[in-house]
Amino acid sequence: MIRCERLTKAYNGVPAVDDLCLEIPAGEVFGLLGPNGAGKSTTILMLVGLIQPTSGACYIGGIEVAAHPIEVKKKIGYMPEDVGFYADRTAKENLDYAARFYGLSERERKQRVDDLLGLVGLDGVGTTVGGYSKGMRQRLGLARALINDPAVVVLDEPTANLDPRGVLDYRRIVKDLAGRGTTVLVSSHILSEVSKVCTSVGILANGRLIASGDRETLSRAATQDRVVIGVDTTAPMPRFTNPEILSAEFSQDSCSARIVARKDISDLIAETLYSEGILPRRLAIEKSDMEDILLSYYAEETV
Amino acid sequence: MTANGLAIIAGKEFSDHLRSRRFHLLFGILVVIAAVGMITGVVQYTKDLSDYNSLQMLAESEDDPALAGNLAGLKPSILSAYSQMGMLIGGIGVVLGIAMGFDLMTREKESKSLKSLLAYPIFRDEVINGKALGGVGAIALAMGVVLVFSLAVVTILGIVPNLGELVRILIFGAVSFLLVFTFFALALLMSAVSKDSGNALLHSLIVMIVLTSFIPIFAYPPVYSAVFGDPPTPPGTSAYSYQQSSSIYTVTTTKVGVQASDTIDPEELEEYERASREYMTQRQTITDIVTLVSPTGNYQTILSAASQPAGDSAPGPGNLLGALAYNIIALLAMPAAFFGLAWVRFMREDIR
Repeated sequence: MIRCERLTKAYNGVPAVDDLCLEIPAGEVFGLLGPNGAGKSTTILMLVGLIQPTSGACYIGGIEVAAHPIEVKKKIGYMPEDVGFYADRTAKENLDYAARFYGLSERERKQRVDDLLGLVGLDGVGTTVGGYSKGMRQRLGLARALINDPAVVVLDEPTANLDPRGVLDYRRIVKDLAGRGTTVLVSSHILSEVSKVCTSVGILANGRLIASGDRETLSRAATQDRVVIGVDTTAPMPRFTNPEILSAEFSQDSCSARIVARKDISDLIAETLYSEGILPRRLAIEKSDMEDILLSYYAEETV
Repeated sequence: MTANGLAIIAGKEFSDHLRSRRFHLLFGILVVIAAVGMITGVVQYTKDLSDYNSLQMLAESEDDPALAGNLAGLKPSILSAYSQMGMLIGGIGVVLGIAMGFDLMTREKESKSLKSLLAYPIFRDEVINGKALGGVGAIALAMGVVLVFSLAVVTILGIVPNLGELVRILIFGAVSFLLVFTFFALALLMSAVSKDSGNALLHSLIVMIVLTSFIPIFAYPPVYSAVFGDPPTPPGTSAYSYQQSSSIYTVTTTKVGVQASDTIDPEELEEYERASREYMTQRQTITDIVTLVSPTGNYQTILSAASQPAGDSAPGPGNLLGALAYNIIALLAMPAAFFGLAWVRFMREDIR
C-alpha cells in the first residue's frame, strides 16, 4: 500500500532522507522509529504530498505521490506532530471544514463529524478549540485524520500529549483501523507505544532505513551476538571482569546490574557472587525490549 | 465527488473577516468617517451651489455673457462631497487593507494548521488564491456598503445625482476599493514572507510609510530642489543663500534676491526660458513617477479628477478614464505585483 523507491530529499545538498526503500503492505500498522533528525518527518511529508522528493519516488496504493498529489491526498489521512486547528472555531466546525475538501454532502459531513467526535471522546464539547488542552487537540487531530475514511493513515507522534485514557483510546482506534484493512504508518519516539500497536517497524538513522521487519525479526537480529543479563543482589556486588562482557551498568548501591555480554555468562556471574559470599535475589537473561533493539541498531549505525 | 478547494477556502476567509472584531472596528470607523466626510461635503456642496446660483442670477440680471460662460464650467458637483469623503477614507482604508491581510498566512503557520490544510486534496495555489479572494470579497462588501451608505446620505439630504455623477461616484468607489486592495495585497505579501504576524505587520507598516509618505516627499518643491537642484534664476536676478547657525539645533537658511538695474539680454532670457522649461518638464516627470509609484498619490489624482466641477466642459466618463489611464493602470498593477510576489513566495515555501 505504501512504497518508497530510492526516495531522497536533500536540503542545501544535505540529505534528510537518503535512498530510502520501503514497502508497507495493506492492513499493516507500521512504526517508523528513529532519533531526532533521522528523517522520519521528512519521509512523512513526502508521503502525504507536502514536499517533493529530490529523487526517487513514493507511491500510495500504486499512485505516485509527486505526480498525482490530489489523488493520493484523497486516499490518506494525516495527523502532523504539531497538530493545529482554527482556535476560534469549535471541534465540529474544524472537522466540518476539513470534510468539505473531500466533497462530502452536508448530511454526510454531519454524520461523519458526530461519529468521529464520539470515537475520540470529544462529543458534547461545545467550546472553541482555543480552549482545548494539548491532549484534546491530539484527539481532535486523530479525528480529522479519519474524516475522509482513508485507506492509509499517517500519524506523526500521535500519543505525544495524550493522557493514559487517551493512549488507550488511540490504541483501540488504531487496532480498529487495522482490523478494517486500513494501513497505518506511525512515527513515534515513544518506543513502548510503537511496540504495543505496530505489527512491523522500520528504523531510520541519518535518513536511511537501517532495519525493518516485525518485532521478533528485529529482536533476533539485534540480539544474535549479545545477551543481556539482569542481576539483583542483597549486598553490593563486585565489578565483574570477563572478556565476554561488552558493557555493564550498575545501580548506585551496586545491588543491581545490567550486563551485556557476547554470550550467556550467567554461570560465571553466579560463581563470582558465591565466591564473594553475596546472595543473588535475581539472575536472569532479559528479553530485549524495543528500546534495546533500537539502541543496538543505533550503536551499529554510529560505529 | 471533487470539492472546489478555492471556493471552500475563499468562503471561510470571507466569513472569518466578517466575524473578526478587527474588521468590525475598522469598518465601523470607516462608516463613521464616511458619514462625517459626506455630511461635511454635502454642506459645502449646498453652500457652493447657493453661491453659484447667486452668481448665475447676477449674470442673467446683468446680461453678462462672459460671466455666464465662465460660470458654465464652475457648477459645483456632488462629487466634491465624495472628494471630501475620499480624503478621509484614504487613511482608514489603508489601515483596513493592512489589518485584513497582515496575518493571513502567518496565522496558519502560528496555529500550525498550514500542514493539515495543505494535506487536504487541494493544490497549494488554491490556498493563497482562496485567501486573497475571501479578502477581496470582504473589502468589496465594505466599500460597497460605504458607497450605498453615502448615496443614502446624499438622497436623504435631498440631492439626486444625475447619470454622469453616478458614473463618477462608481469610479470613486472602484478606486477606493483598489486602494484598500493594494494595501491588503501588500500585507498578504508580508504575511507570506514573514515568520510571524508581528513581523508581517511591522514590515507592512514600513512599506506603507514608504509608499504613502516617503516617496511623495520627492514631489514637494523644497525636497525636489534639495535633491535635484533649484529652478533656474531669471536673468537680472541674483540669488544666494547662506546658513546661519545659532546652535547645533537651529539652522536657518536665508535666500536673498537682488534686482539688477541692467537691461535683460534677450539671449539670456531665451536661455532662461529653455532651462526653465527643461526644469519644469523634469519636475513634472519626477512628480508623475512619484504619483504613479505611490498608491495614495494615484488615488488622490483620480479622486480629484473625478470630482471636478460638473459643467458642460467637464470630460465624460470615457475621456476621464482615458486621461487617468496611467494612474488607473498603476493602481491595478501594484496590488497585482504584490499578490504575484506573495503567490510565488508561498508556492516555493518549504513546509517542514
